[in-house]
Amino acid sequence: MSLYESKTQQPPKNGLLLLQGLILLLFCIFALRFWYLQIHKGEYFSEQARNNQLRQDNLYAPRGLLRDRNGQLLAVNEPAYALGIVREDCKDLDATLITVSEWTGVDLGKLKKVFKKSRRRVKPFEPLILVPNLTFEQVAVIEANSLHWPGLEVVVRPRRKYLQGPLLSHVLGYVSEVDEAELENDSDLAVGDYVGKQGLESVLEKRFRGIKGRRQSEVDATGRRLKQRILNPPIAGEDIDLSIDLGLQELGGKLLEGKAGAVVVMNPDNGQILAFVSSPSYDNNAFTDGLSQKQWVALRDDPRTPLQNRVIQSVYPPGSVFKMTVAGAGLHYGVITPEDTVYCPGHMKLGKYVFRCWKKGGHGETNLEKSLVQSCDVYYYKLGKKLGVDRLSEYAFAAGFGKPTGISLPHEKGGLIPTRKWKRRRFGEIWHPGENLNFSIGQGYTLVTPLQVARSISSLINGGRLLRPQLLAGEPAEEQGVIPLTDRQREIIRKAMIETVDGPRGTARRLRMKGVVVGGKTGTAQVVKLTDELKKMKDEDIPYKYRDHAWMASFAEKDTQRYVVVCMVEHGLHGSSGAGPIVKAIYDHIFKGKKGKK
Amino acid sequence: MSPIDRRLLIHMNWFLLGLAAMLFFVGVLNLYSASGFRLEEGMSVSSFYQKQLIWGLMGFAGMITFMLFDYRHLRTIAWPLFWVTVILLACVPVIGKTIYGARRWLDLGFFNFQPSEMAKITILVIGAKILSRSSDPLNIKNLAYVVGVGLIPAGMVITQPDLGSGLNILLILGGMILYRGLTPKLFKTLALVGPCLIPIGWFFLHDYQKRRIVSFMNPASDPLGAGYHIIQSEIAIGSGRVWGKGFLGGTQSQLRFLPEKHTDFAIAVFGEEWGFAGAMALLSLFCVFLYQMVVTAREAKDLFGSYLAAGVFFYFFWQILINMGMVLGLMPVVGIPLPFISYGGSGTVVNLCLVGLVLNVSMRRYVFKQG
Repeated sequence: MSLYESKTQQPPKNGLLLLQGLILLLFCIFALRFWYLQIHKGEYFSEQARNNQLRQDNLYAPRGLLRDRNGQLLAVNEPAYALGIVREDCKDLDATLITVSEWTGVDLGKLKKVFKKSRRRVKPFEPLILVPNLTFEQVAVIEANSLHWPGLEVVVRPRRKYLQGPLLSHVLGYVSEVDEAELENDSDLAVGDYVGKQGLESVLEKRFRGIKGRRQSEVDATGRRLKQRILNPPIAGEDIDLSIDLGLQELGGKLLEGKAGAVVVMNPDNGQILAFVSSPSYDNNAFTDGLSQKQWVALRDDPRTPLQNRVIQSVYPPGSVFKMTVAGAGLHYGVITPEDTVYCPGHMKLGKYVFRCWKKGGHGETNLEKSLVQSCDVYYYKLGKKLGVDRLSEYAFAAGFGKPTGISLPHEKGGLIPTRKWKRRRFGEIWHPGENLNFSIGQGYTLVTPLQVARSISSLINGGRLLRPQLLAGEPAEEQGVIPLTDRQREIIRKAMIETVDGPRGTARRLRMKGVVVGGKTGTAQVVKLTDELKKMKDEDIPYKYRDHAWMASFAEKDTQRYVVVCMVEHGLHGSSGAGPIVKAIYDHIFKGKKGKK
Repeated sequence: MSPIDRRLLIHMNWFLLGLAAMLFFVGVLNLYSASGFRLEEGMSVSSFYQKQLIWGLMGFAGMITFMLFDYRHLRTIAWPLFWVTVILLACVPVIGKTIYGARRWLDLGFFNFQPSEMAKITILVIGAKILSRSSDPLNIKNLAYVVGVGLIPAGMVITQPDLGSGLNILLILGGMILYRGLTPKLFKTLALVGPCLIPIGWFFLHDYQKRRIVSFMNPASDPLGAGYHIIQSEIAIGSGRVWGKGFLGGTQSQLRFLPEKHTDFAIAVFGEEWGFAGAMALLSLFCVFLYQMVVTAREAKDLFGSYLAAGVFFYFFWQILINMGMVLGLMPVVGIPLPFISYGGSGTVVNLCLVGLVLNVSMRRYVFKQG
């Protein structure tokens, strides 16, 4: 490599001049600017510096309101008082925290923890929320003594209030203070903010939240505000109307009082949910202020599991309400015609096992309609045997079981539709022919949610469309699929359900109503295989946890109005007696207008 | 070859070394003042200036390293260095570490390495190599070639996204191009076309960047964000008046009306505490410091060295111009530190290494032949 450079290569003359010119320019510009700021306007800025006691803080935006479909308020905001500390004004931090602890009764250690956790995120001249909720008495004490404690400040902000409390907790969810993870992931949030944690509050968080405003104030040496100016006003979050009918919801809640179970009322034509009741429930207002560890543990470990959303998170064997699906499979695959009959002697033998019909004496010759009306088990054993597990599960999936419905609520369960593959994976065993029989009467491994049942009944009367259940009013119908049945086949099943209510031997006769076409299907789902001893007992004597679950799946039509109502009562014994009266009361409310709502 | 012989030491630009050391210690002193008042943000009283001292030690070690080898070797490895940089930049979106929402770092285990910092040094070297082939003004063909080479790393850095560093790379290269000069015809054409490109650039800016520019035009439009910073820093500097409020005596910065006072706004603390007198002294220090780059560029033994020195000149020049312009309210707020004065680890190390590179060029100005 030649290290000798040509002598003619001189550094560019103009370039060197340019660099020197740039240095001169740099010096002149900034020297002039310093002169302007420090000498020409020095007096002015010194004055500004003396008066530089401007503070800015947040004005909290109220969350959007929630209303039912008729405009009845469900969730509102009320003013709440929080205690904030402005670090910059605080002369003696330790003494101040001790005083706060005395005034509010909050443990000093906890206050210190809150302070330490938040200080990185709050500017030193902004109030850091120490205690999110003060009582009026506490506010009075603090206001009276605040002169002696510069830096302490009562911050007013809106707090969520649920007017119906437990009634809608499973739909609305609740709000509470943001946690670390949420702060990390969302730069719009600040320490002490409320965010939706469950239900619609969490799903629609961004729409409910609104935008914080900003206020500028002049403060004196102790941090007291002298003059204030709103820089930008807070913008409230979006108000949202639900599809829920508060009257129906209240009725449902009352009917399930003291019971564990779920009621769903759905419009089969657009998927709108009119009532969504899960019982028992909890008071979502309690979460706003934050539960104590003790309260939380008590709620979490409550044997009645009030936190469980029984409409979408609890899965149950469907029992006989599954028979419509099995009948549909039979028709779809051409395994049966409506006219084919099966003789029911009250039991059926398969190998060395005997499968019993619920009616000891048997139903005799039974066709499809009779099998649904009288809920004959033997008919379905035989049908299930012919269909086999593969076709049964394939059809059940197509009818919307085995996967979540997609309702806009978190943590929805999909239930379970067994397949050969599933069983091998789960138990390492092959599928036994006897299990087809259990499968076909909605027992065995099959598990469904009440919402899935409601959607499946809807599909039988709305032209076969599987609709996404909607919780917001005005949300358009969303079709997720079509069940594989012809119009005529659906009509056969629909007719049978009507006959179950109208017919002299139907199992859902108590739903009968004048002037309204009602169809229904009862279900009794075994929780455990009853021992002979239990079988001999009277219903009332069976221990609660061994009692069967009661189902009632139904629809009603009058003129252009159509409704699907599904009720499930845990350990309610029999569909017709445990769940039937609840469904009936709901139809009475809807059609007889006991409370005068459309 | 023994790396340093006595002649080299004699010819070394001790003045430049002294200037860099002075600037560095002014910076540490200022940091002491900026962070030394009250406990804040969970950092201990002394942590900023102490850390800066440690970074400084590493930087001076880096400086010596950059002096030891003959800078002309850089010419040989310019292209390999360029492609290594490009590959490292290409790795960033794939295996890079995301910090503050931007993927700019490679995790090397013991520390996080930022390839865009390396790209700034690489662009000096490759620019010096390409431009030093001749000292004639650039024609359009050569200009397109140089700009094309520069756009590769710059574009990659901008998409990280790190607009600041990407533009920094282009500005350094642009400065070096101006140093070499353009043919008069090309110069006239660019002077006409260039300003028309500015509005197009607007579309490539992120919303927050547009907001900063709008708030610069009208600080009241964003009194909380960028506008707040400008207002507060003007008050701090202005209230320093002629002689300043004295070391540790600044009320504005000490009372924490001044944001980011230890990083991008460090000069505001200085202006408040040392006044117009101090500001002039610091500004003069910077100008003499820059002038030493010009001296080196003029006396360099070869064009490659001359362009290296010019490149380092522009590396510092743009940072000083943009940071001071921002803090003094003459420019929109962009996150560019003031060399030696702002707190920052990798910045300090790179600054001192580049000073080492200039010293390297300067002390070999009489060496005709390598032994």
